[in-house]
Amino acid sequence: MQSQMKESDPILKIENLFASTDNLTILKGVSLTVYPGEIHAIMGRNGCGKSTLSKIIAGHPSYNITNGDIKFSGENINSLEPEERSQSGIFLGFQYPIEIPGVSNLEFLRVSTNARRKYLKKEELDTFDFEELVKEKLELVKMDHAFLSRSVNQGFSGGEKKRNEILQMALLEPKIAILDETDSGLDIDALRIVASGIKKISNAQTGIILITHYQRLLDEIEPDYVHVMADGQIIKTGGSDLALELEKKGYEWTDNFVKET
Amino acid sequence: MEIIEKIKTNKLTDKQTEIQKICLHKLQSSPLPNPKSELWRLSNKSKFSNFLNYSVNEKHPKSDIPFPENSQNTIRLIIGETCQIKLIKENYSIQQLSENELNKYIKEQIACFDQNENWSDLLNLSLSSTKNFVGLKINGSKIPPIEIFSHASTNSFNAKTLIIFLEKNCDIELLQVNLGKENSSLSQSTFFLLKENSSVNHGVVSYGENRSNLLNSLNVIQQNNSEYNLGALHFKFNYARFEISIKQSAGNAKTNIKGMQLTKKDEQISTYTKIDFNGPNGFLDQINKSLADDKSHAIFEGSIIVPKIAQKTDASQLSRNLLLSNLAQIDTKPQLEIIADDVKCKHGATISQLNEEELFYMRTRGITLPEASKLQLSSYFKEIISFIPVTKDRWDLLDKLLNAN
Repeated sequence: MQSQMKESDPILKIENLFASTDNLTILKGVSLTVYPGEIHAIMGRNGCGKSTLSKIIAGHPSYNITNGDIKFSGENINSLEPEERSQSGIFLGFQYPIEIPGVSNLEFLRVSTNARRKYLKKEELDTFDFEELVKEKLELVKMDHAFLSRSVNQGFSGGEKKRNEILQMALLEPKIAILDETDSGLDIDALRIVASGIKKISNAQTGIILITHYQRLLDEIEPDYVHVMADGQIIKTGGSDLALELEKKGYEWTDNFVKET
Repeated sequence: MEIIEKIKTNKLTDKQTEIQKICLHKLQSSPLPNPKSELWRLSNKSKFSNFLNYSVNEKHPKSDIPFPENSQNTIRLIIGETCQIKLIKENYSIQQLSENELNKYIKEQIACFDQNENWSDLLNLSLSSTKNFVGLKINGSKIPPIEIFSHASTNSFNAKTLIIFLEKNCDIELLQVNLGKENSSLSQSTFFLLKENSSVNHGVVSYGENRSNLLNSLNVIQQNNSEYNLGALHFKFNYARFEISIKQSAGNAKTNIKGMQLTKKDEQISTYTKIDFNGPNGFLDQINKSLADDKSHAIFEGSIIVPKIAQKTDASQLSRNLLLSNLAQIDTKPQLEIIADDVKCKHGATISQLNEEELFYMRTRGITLPEASKLQLSSYFKEIISFIPVTKDRWDLLDKLLNAN
């Protein structure tokens, strides 16, 4: 399915990616191609390399790419800094959003939005114009304005942190968003709000990679492709029915698959 | 060490005041502090020698005060220049202490001085001439904020002394700024007496220029029901020591301290605090932050003394430190000396680096590494800066810190 001809060029093309940290190889030949408008889901056991893949795409300095390429909009980004990747349109939604005490959420959002706007050669926003923009985006994730005056993620509940991630995604308008277990720690209502926010933000030009363990997020956002990861590789790719199959079968078969291959 | 030689031979000044004579006499037998003592063992010897290697200068050119006048009605004094003050208003009065009051108070203090522990004050009082000696008595209410500046001239050693009596039921906001000029040494000693029910928000901001040195000593006596809040900031000195001694003379007083020192290049800046509870129901909340970069060295040593008489004391001392380079050094030692048995005292120290995960998070939002580091540092600084009173230009202060080289 991944090899079929597409009208446009891929946003993201990962080819035979090997990566390690502390002399431990975590990714062992991952290949993945995402075209505009596509939604991909990556599923797999804990420790199979899903989060590592997301961090490596975002440029985490603790990981080394030992082989393979990550191409974003046709350009190799292996050596780009995390901020350069973000400015050019790669967004990583964190599984555990980081708290930054003392840094106001509003100022943080404004500085990051302006960094992206500067890259896009758009006019940077002053405090007043940014307030207008953020007010509109808050609606998407049903967040209260009061969250803006607090420190970044400090004192936020799990659900509020995830909504703050989607708010950032809405402001940054990325070309590709990798959402690492955005559904974890969310109750059903919060999950629906987050999922609806993601759907409203995504469009025919955006690619989305959802990293998840569970079907429940995929009930809200139907993926075009589902990939199963095990032992640092994508071992199976299918349509949205593959996620339903996983829900029934569990992940035990992936262990056997890895052993056999 | 030019100054020490002159102390030994008693050739410092021609017209010595009574206080100078007493202090010089105390120093002559043992003119230097004990380098092996707890208070001096970490002090960089060559920097300390350099501090004492300038000629004493009693006359100096007019200072160039970089702090703009506040638009509000601020009272501004520059020690050594504009010290004459007599303000008698409807609600308050600020007057100079008489010579008798000054001498009596200082003599009482000197009588309790330990040659090693109070060496900085002994040196200051030996060298501070009448012109550089300011004593104020403040009384009343609705007193405008006060700014007091102290500075050293280039290529010289200056000693300045400030004594403030805060009368009963009086409260003030006071910002003290110590400015070090290029190749200079400043000795600043401050004596504060807070009488019953008085309170002060005291800011001490000290920063220097290339190769400037500072020996800054602060002695506070708090009477019953007084409240002393100190926000302090020291940066850009080749060598600086900030020695704080606070005594709650009869307990039942509140002390809050938020202090920070920043070191870069090969600078050494240290803070020594001694908080003495001499009665029941005393309160202390203290945070000291150090931030060391390049090959610099920051030191914090704090001691809290709770004798048997100081029951129901509630004291907390926290030392939080950031190491920004592999070659920088931070020494920290918060300590408690408790004899009383019904007290609540805690202390702690942490040394860490900038949080890598916070930095990565900000970078994934398009914020560059230098900007992300600045944001992190700003949040680290703000807690202290927001505690410094009077500074209308707090954000300018933040810029000064973030851009200090």
